[in-house]
Amino acid sequence: MTATIQLNGVSKFFGNIIALKDISFEAHQGEVTALLGDNGAGKSTLIKCLSGVHAPDEGEIIIEGKPVKFSSPRQAAAAGIGTVYQDLALQPLMSVSRNFFLGREINKGLFLDLDKMSEITRREMAKLGIDVADPNQPIGTLSGGQRQTLAISRAIYFGAKVLILDEPTSALGQKQQLEVLRTVNEVRNRKDIAIIFITHNDLHARLIGDRFTFLNRGRILANGNREAIDTDNLRSLMAGGAELAELEAELKN
Amino acid sequence: MEDERLRKVSSLQSFVSRPELGSVFGLAIIVVTFMSLTTVSGTFSAMWTNPIGIQAWVELAAFVGILAIGASLLMIAGEFDLSMGANIALAGHSFALLLTFGVPVLPAILITFIELAFLGFIMGTIVVRTGLPSFIVTLGFWFASRGFAVFLSQTLVNQSRLSVKPYLKPPAGGGEDPTLIDNIFAFDKAFGLPFDAEVYYFAILVIITAFMLHRTRFGNWIYASGGDAQAARAVGVPVNRVKISLFMISTCLACLLGVLTVMTSGASDPKAGDFRELHAIAAAVIGGCALMGGYGSVIGAVLGAFIFAIASRGINFVPFIDNNLFRVMLGMMVLGAALLNQFLRNRVLRG
Repeated sequence: MTATIQLNGVSKFFGNIIALKDISFEAHQGEVTALLGDNGAGKSTLIKCLSGVHAPDEGEIIIEGKPVKFSSPRQAAAAGIGTVYQDLALQPLMSVSRNFFLGREINKGLFLDLDKMSEITRREMAKLGIDVADPNQPIGTLSGGQRQTLAISRAIYFGAKVLILDEPTSALGQKQQLEVLRTVNEVRNRKDIAIIFITHNDLHARLIGDRFTFLNRGRILANGNREAIDTDNLRSLMAGGAELAELEAELKN
Repeated sequence: MEDERLRKVSSLQSFVSRPELGSVFGLAIIVVTFMSLTTVSGTFSAMWTNPIGIQAWVELAAFVGILAIGASLLMIAGEFDLSMGANIALAGHSFALLLTFGVPVLPAILITFIELAFLGFIMGTIVVRTGLPSFIVTLGFWFASRGFAVFLSQTLVNQSRLSVKPYLKPPAGGGEDPTLIDNIFAFDKAFGLPFDAEVYYFAILVIITAFMLHRTRFGNWIYASGGDAQAARAVGVPVNRVKISLFMISTCLACLLGVLTVMTSGASDPKAGDFRELHAIAAAVIGGCALMGGYGSVIGAVLGAFIFAIASRGINFVPFIDNNLFRVMLGMMVLGAALLNQFLRNRVLRG
């Protein structure tokens, strides 16, 4: 099976700072690729390279076998990269359906086709297990997890083949985190979308991940699938492996 | 999966979360108050049934309301235009000067609109390119517009108040009759209608802009630009273009009033539109527009303009209340409305 998206030796420099060096990994449709790393590991820069905000300085990005180069987020979106940022890019005072279609509204003649937009929003949200009673209610009435689902279902509806989720659980309460993981699982079950799940929560990664990539200080620390990485290994890689061992030694003294 | 915590929003609740709710009550209170006060002072019929009395507040509401349309659209997009009042004088002077220099009425109107649209384009471009607050940018133009209008007319024709009556009358030797265009543009006279033309323009503009705001893509983008510009850009909304267009709409509305004022009064006054920008912003705030953007409505601003006009003219019909108290009352209304709107907006956010 060819990977939906593949990175070969991608590097990104900002002046003399090496933000990413020689990053290679792949994500397959119907799978969740968990991208783990501590703050400052280069996760954000990597997302920006994938979603067309930054162009990599070295290496290539291959989508469905074809090398691609993005000069804008719009191009990346057109190529099937759907990015759901932490802030979700939602308008808190606007309605659910208007948020869903913002920037890509459906018109009937001169005016918005509000009925059709509501209907599609309700249908697409229901596919991911959220029943929106009234798509005309302001988004402020949705829970954090439901907003996350809205942003995800919007990305899918507008043609995402690769869904990048940037720390989707980090700003949420326990119950809502599980709600989001359930949504991610629904997306995986569609079998046609490759999910890149960025997190620093090893528990969530282990729950939902099929493949794992560990980033540390801009480099890949380890790559592996579910079988290759057991829980202890995962936890120690998350904490930076050797660094954790050093700290352990320090604390014992 | 059914979320058991998802509450159904009742129609009553969705009515309560409409931005214009506060101004509906405000208007009811103002009307009842002034009906009672005029009854006490024996001027009820003079204000509420006499055509001249009705004209007084309806025409003021239309004048302020036309500006308030622009003010509310801009405020929803998160911006201000303080130069509106001054632009009325600038447009009036430009129109009057063009007539003085022999330009026929229709081209003079068109040129004035193009000038003012260009001014809006400049202000909008400065705001979106420099990131300076529009409050500061348009404050600059508040000084500059009126100053430039008077400077031009004094330099070119050595007058600061320009009478244009001769240019709006039929020429003695025959030829094209400028009153025709005057009648079409400021059509009240032609059709013997009871109100000045701005009242009808106001009605038409309210309908067009209210539909635009709630039922078109552009309206959606206005809310998004003021709600969270960064998030709007992330989904492809051309925020800068939206804001620049709204500044152009704002200057064109001022232009409409400037030209109409010259046509109805037969002269261009350098003090035309003084303080009207503040009245329009007050109307927009009373009507439920959030100062930080993202929330509000044109209909609310219209109700706000009527509240302003009824209070402003009504005070003259109530001799036992000092006129100066009107400003105190207006000030308190703006504060009260802003507080009420903040409360309502928080309700929407919490659900």
